[in-house]
Amino acid sequence: MEPTLVDAELHRRLVYGDESALGEAYAAYGGLVRRVALRVTRSQAAAEDVAQEVFAHLWSRPYAFDARRGSLRTWLSMLAHRRAVDWVRSEARHRKDARADDSALHAIPDSGPGPDETVVDRERALLLHSALAELPLPQREVVHLAYFAGRTYRQAAVELGIPEGTAKTRLRSALRKLAESLADPPDPALERGA
Amino acid sequence: MSGEHEAVRDLLAAWAVGALTPADERTVPRHLAACESCAAEAERLRETVRLLDGPRATPSGPTTGPTTGPVNGAGTGRAARGTRDKAPAGRGRPTGEDGPDGRSAGPDGAAGLPPALLAAARRARPAAPRVAAHAAPYAAAVAGLGALLRELDVPGRWSTPVVHDWDVQDTVAHLIAADEPLARLLGLVPRVPRPGGAEKAGWEAAWAARTAEVIAHQRARPPAETVAVWSAQAAALLAAPEAADAGRAGHATTLMGVRLPVADHFVVRAFEAWIHTDDIGRALGLAVPPPPEPHLWQLVRLAVRILGRALGPTAAPVLFAPAGGGSDAQWVLGSEDEPVAAELVLDPVDFCLLIGGRYAPGEVPRGAVGDAAAVTAVLERAASLAWL
Repeated sequence: MEPTLVDAELHRRLVYGDESALGEAYAAYGGLVRRVALRVTRSQAAAEDVAQEVFAHLWSRPYAFDARRGSLRTWLSMLAHRRAVDWVRSEARHRKDARADDSALHAIPDSGPGPDETVVDRERALLLHSALAELPLPQREVVHLAYFAGRTYRQAAVELGIPEGTAKTRLRSALRKLAESLADPPDPALERGA
Repeated sequence: MSGEHEAVRDLLAAWAVGALTPADERTVPRHLAACESCAAEAERLRETVRLLDGPRATPSGPTTGPTTGPVNGAGTGRAARGTRDKAPAGRGRPTGEDGPDGRSAGPDGAAGLPPALLAAARRARPAAPRVAAHAAPYAAAVAGLGALLRELDVPGRWSTPVVHDWDVQDTVAHLIAADEPLARLLGLVPRVPRPGGAEKAGWEAAWAARTAEVIAHQRARPPAETVAVWSAQAAALLAAPEAADAGRAGHATTLMGVRLPVADHFVVRAFEAWIHTDDIGRALGLAVPPPPEPHLWQLVRLAVRILGRALGPTAAPVLFAPAGGGSDAQWVLGSEDEPVAAELVLDPVDFCLLIGGRYAPGEVPRGAVGDAAAVTAVLERAASLAWL
């Protein structure tokens, strides 16, 4: 079956309350969703929570996904990324609060930088992932397929139904924008987690 | 060289995230070794990706093990992608896990879900209840309308005009009234007061009056309450013993002018719920999928029986073959004593919409051969059933 038909059929069963369709969606995309969430949150537990949120959302609001406008793979990947960025921002807020509270200074070790990662890198990574989440949809889709889902630009073009050259251009514009976001001074709104 | 320069420059982002094709894997590094400006750009993009990646030790990352490549895809991804591109054309699926395969995950696919996820999903939205085959289309249709109504949490959306002079809330209120005769038959108490007292003569008048009554009653209430009343009545119908056991749903009863076994009245309820869900979806600009395949054919079979009855035994016989139904889903409508005058093919969803009064007989897409008048008679009769 064509991938879009597979998505449409899965969506049909989700809409009509068939729980086994959720099981199939999880079997197909659970790994990708957890991987995306883990890359942003750096926390296994948080990644599991994000995955749970993402699939519960797919189940409880099946009409939020529209098979005519994109693949389920990309949609889930983007939703996972967005939720993971939100998780990190809210975590950062909590840490600030905790710091103000002093006694709970190291209350949330889980999201702290790993041994291989400096605090500065961790902050720059969050900045980048926040910028990624704000990319225009057409660019974001290509990044998700090529970067998170491990597609070549050629496969991404096929999956999105766009010319190969367009996929390359979008990927390039996206990555340049992300690189520039590092050069720019951090957006205070993002820092606040707004 | 400048042609290669342009080509490689366009590929640098794909290179940085490890999304090159195997052929590009050779040209890009060769050019980078010779071109300073490309090498600088490549380094900048790769550094960006390195930060996105985070530290190497991601416990369940897509690629593991030490590699010589400096970052994520550009190093470890290369080998993997080399094999991916050898996959059959049009299928960019590297592993069994990462992609749908259209196969069923078994009778209880939800069993593959982590328990916490399954619990969270069920808290957010219950699954369609398990009922006997005759009630399954209704259980699914109720779940489907429930899912659609969740999209109305935007201010003003409830007052979107749907059909007749009904908005979304009125349409749900109508379904409360429409499900009521079956609910009463099964001994359930009406959820909206019946002040009318005297029954109207004839089911159509009574039905229209009851719809008007329920709509007027519900208009004074918040839409969420209307949904709750509809949903509670539907749940009660599906919890009735007649929904669980075909043996208890075999006796024929006349409801809304049609004499059918109770089991088929459940299918009629599914039909109506789906038609109105489709109405609401169109009004909101959301594509409502057709009922699941087995349910769709249950609707088609029932509609064919009712249409055949309405045409009567003397109508010019037409072979009706809904598309995709196979040889056991073809029926001769009309007289059995004459040779078939025409053949008619309709998409099963279009046929259901025609039966539901959502297509004019002249407008439904069709394939027809033979006596055009006989075909027209069937289409017109189907559209005029107006039973929903």
